[in-house]
Amino acid sequence: MHEFLTAGIIGISLGAQYALLALGFTLIFGILGVINFAHGGFYALGGYVAYAAVSQFGLPFPLAVLAAVIVTAALGALYERFLIERLVDDHLATMMLTLGLYLVISTGLLAVFGPQSPEFSFPVKGTLRAGTLYLPLENLVVLAVCAAAIGGLWLLIYRTDFGRALRALADDRKVAMTQGMRPGLLFPLAFGLATGLAGLTGALVTPILALSPSAGDPVLVTSFLTVILGGLGSIAGAVVAAIIVGFVEAYASVYLGGSAGALILFVTVLVILLARPTGLFGREIRGA
Amino acid sequence: MVRIAKRPLAACVVALGLAFTTGAGAQTSCEIKIGALGPMSGPAAQWGLAMLGAAELAAAEANARGGLQVGNQRCTVSVLSYDTRYTAEGAAAGVNNLASQGVRFIIGPVGSPEVTGAKPVVTRHRLLMFANSYAKNAIGPQWPLVFHLGPGPSEWAAPIVRIAQQQFGMRSVAVVAPNDQGGTDIATVNAEVYRRHGITATEEYYQRGTTNFAPIVTRLLASRPDAVDTASSPPGDAGLIVRQLRQAGFTGPIGRLGGPGTDEIIRVAGGIDVLRNFYWYEVVPTEDPRVRAISDEYRRLLNKEPPENTNMWLWVVGARMTLRAIERAGTATDTQRVAAALRELPVEDPNVGRGSWTGQSFFGINQELSLPFGMGMIVDGRNLGVRRIEVSPQ
Amino acid sequence: MAPEPNLAARSPSRWGAQEWVAVAIFVAALAVPYATEDLLVHSIVNRVLIGAMAAFSVFIMLRMDLLSFATPAFMALGGYSAVLLAMNGVTEVLLIVPASFIVPALVALPLGALVLRLRGVYFVLVTFVLTEILQLIVFLTPGLTGGSDGLAGFPAPTLLGRDLSDAQSVLALAAAMALLAVVITAALTAHFRQHFAAIEENEVLAESLGLVVWRYKAMGFVVAAGIAGMAGFALGNMLLTVHPTSFGAQQAVDTIVYTIVGGRGSILGPVVGASLLVTAADFLGNQGQYAQGLFGLLLIFVTLVARGGITGAVVTLARRLRDARRTPDAPAAAASEAAARGGA
Repeated sequence: MHEFLTAGIIGISLGAQYALLALGFTLIFGILGVINFAHGGFYALGGYVAYAAVSQFGLPFPLAVLAAVIVTAALGALYERFLIERLVDDHLATMMLTLGLYLVISTGLLAVFGPQSPEFSFPVKGTLRAGTLYLPLENLVVLAVCAAAIGGLWLLIYRTDFGRALRALADDRKVAMTQGMRPGLLFPLAFGLATGLAGLTGALVTPILALSPSAGDPVLVTSFLTVILGGLGSIAGAVVAAIIVGFVEAYASVYLGGSAGALILFVTVLVILLARPTGLFGREIRGA
Repeated sequence: MVRIAKRPLAACVVALGLAFTTGAGAQTSCEIKIGALGPMSGPAAQWGLAMLGAAELAAAEANARGGLQVGNQRCTVSVLSYDTRYTAEGAAAGVNNLASQGVRFIIGPVGSPEVTGAKPVVTRHRLLMFANSYAKNAIGPQWPLVFHLGPGPSEWAAPIVRIAQQQFGMRSVAVVAPNDQGGTDIATVNAEVYRRHGITATEEYYQRGTTNFAPIVTRLLASRPDAVDTASSPPGDAGLIVRQLRQAGFTGPIGRLGGPGTDEIIRVAGGIDVLRNFYWYEVVPTEDPRVRAISDEYRRLLNKEPPENTNMWLWVVGARMTLRAIERAGTATDTQRVAAALRELPVEDPNVGRGSWTGQSFFGINQELSLPFGMGMIVDGRNLGVRRIEVSPQ
Repeated sequence: MAPEPNLAARSPSRWGAQEWVAVAIFVAALAVPYATEDLLVHSIVNRVLIGAMAAFSVFIMLRMDLLSFATPAFMALGGYSAVLLAMNGVTEVLLIVPASFIVPALVALPLGALVLRLRGVYFVLVTFVLTEILQLIVFLTPGLTGGSDGLAGFPAPTLLGRDLSDAQSVLALAAAMALLAVVITAALTAHFRQHFAAIEENEVLAESLGLVVWRYKAMGFVVAAGIAGMAGFALGNMLLTVHPTSFGAQQAVDTIVYTIVGGRGSILGPVVGASLLVTAADFLGNQGQYAQGLFGLLLIFVTLVARGGITGAVVTLARRLRDARRTPDAPAAAASEAAARGGA
């Protein structure tokens, strides 16, 4: 019984972690149609920028996180503006561009910081305990930030002009342009916002887990899984999918072990997609 | 515009052509090339880079002495490397690539899939290879030119389990490792060794790429083991497992039979107080100042920081002995004679000490380096240091 | 997106120049094992052949605008079946090569019935999940598949009793399988060029016009699986081992990159992509920890410079040269010529 409850608590923590990861991915994907292979790279980069800010420049943790967001957002925006923008309609080509970027980022991190995990811990320590149940405080912080990020993103996309413009450009670029919206300005901003989110997640989550140059590898897989499962273009979908994935992973791993648990998770994803071919809340099909 | 795109293709073809001629052509000066094979990128990069470091150090030492005396020539030693990306085909490609550039001696590869992929090609090229890997068939009589850089848990697990049992008195252990060959090779043997000492052992394998081990930790603790052994889990993973074990309220001893990375584990776990009670395997006695001098040598000769992964301290022995065998055999091209000379060399290293050749009973061929290794313990948050464990010659 | 098929110029299912060139390349490849004994050439050519076969698998699916990450899963099915047959006494190449095609193809049938209703990125994810699932199944069935250790030490294939274990025969066998793969791919994509193109352009419209879409999708999926299976066997034969690390997400990305960089619009695309990138990766492999980063830079560069992949860029350039060759001061003649051709 105790395992059941513990698994549930873990599921929530995992869900929050995955939701935060998925948000950046769904933004780029839903709005621009770009499968951002470098998503994990920005996550790892965010972690390392925050680490460097704390350990080498002695900045307090919140400022370090801000630094991480700024660096990753800037890099993403610039990359979009000068490289991806040229090929933004060719989804496969943009995929190649982001893949190349990921390889460059992870090699760069490896060359600069070395292959080992550095010392980078979360400033908030301590664990809430109630009998045999426990919840590390850092997970609560992640949960809170996740909720804030989801809320903030939703407001941005659905309640601001910027968000409206992005959605319009995503729907029909030509018409949106005749209305005066400039994709040349808005797309880099959207990309930068998304990569900044990935950097934020990296800066927050890697001290809770582990930081290394290849910390981004599994991140891409999970983000992709969560976003598609949730359905393209749907923030709510990504969040719900993240929670489902978190719970399935938690329970399946606890009761069946790592490999069987992962198998159950993947089979679950398969079954859900077969039953709902456009994801949980997806509305449109985007070509390969 | 397209001409630019075609040029890489043409360049590759031209370079390929050049590679044939330089590979087959004679060398005007005496240069011996050794190859370092292993993953130089990705999650296993620290092992590949340690392998490269070992080869580079051995080469630099030889060159600092004025080169190797091979017959009546003095030859410089240079190092080439290849990134295998931890796959069998990467290793096979690497061997072919290095062989085509004149390499006849390979230090590495690191992982079992790589060694499996490399062995047939090494045999075809008649290269001498000093491999790592804990696979049960890492070396064997059908690969007479393949040597082993150090024994697996079948050799070192038992003494460590005995000492840990004396100190911590555990009666059950949960062994956790990733679900790939690097994990299963070690965890299965560890579990056997624990059982032989009267400790019940369960094995748990986690999905490669797991970032959050809280579910696995919950599962491990469900059977209420006295101790948890992180086997050959990469240090980043192991450190996180330790941290989450402690967060979950586990107070028992944690083991690592093992592989290097204790410093990294302490970092990721959050400090030595979190580890609390920890026992681990070190490939060499890491607190011996003579062993640590290897890193100083590295800094002195190569002017850069040595790889942190302490496997390098063991692997450099294999590289050094290979170079000594070349000198002794008087040839850098006849790998069979070099192999014969290598087998006759006593296992002795100025930094690591004296050991022996083993492997006859486990692999059927006595080509495994067995040197003194280390066991470290942290008890009640106090680091008791790494003690030296001598190996009894077979 | 994809280059417009030049349908008006020839009968729809006849092979064009590109198909014949592709076949010629692989026929020439058959000669390589006997032309040289250099093991580096053998290594690179063998991996190019395997990469090209896997890339054909991706290419076939891309003809229908479906990006498949399942290539390594079908490679694993083909590779493991062939090896298991060899380990159980069947080493005749005339049996195990077809087996390496048929087993994944058979698995692809019911699998396709399930997953082909998905489109776009949903299809991408599902195929990725298939690769991961197969990796886990291999891990969880050590008795059959060797688990995380893989299978090694199996008997060499034989051709009518003649042992094929020497280096030349290994490469020749790979070349023969690759030739078979290109012929099958060319036949399929040429014969169903219009059908695939219609599905790629607008699946709903095609269906409303009477095209039984699922039939062609299924055919493509099954053939793609079979070709991948042969690639898997060729890989296992080259390495003398089938190992789960050979059939994972990393390889899925690699094969997709070959096809896209080479050009998804032409059957030469996978060939060019595999040749260039396998060779480049071999050279870059010596750069230690920088190898992957340099490969990434190469990828970015080629993608920016060659729109539509390398073959796409070549086709565009050829068209531009051809248009420029027409005298610039005869626009009227060019216009009437274009009108006569029906604006193709």
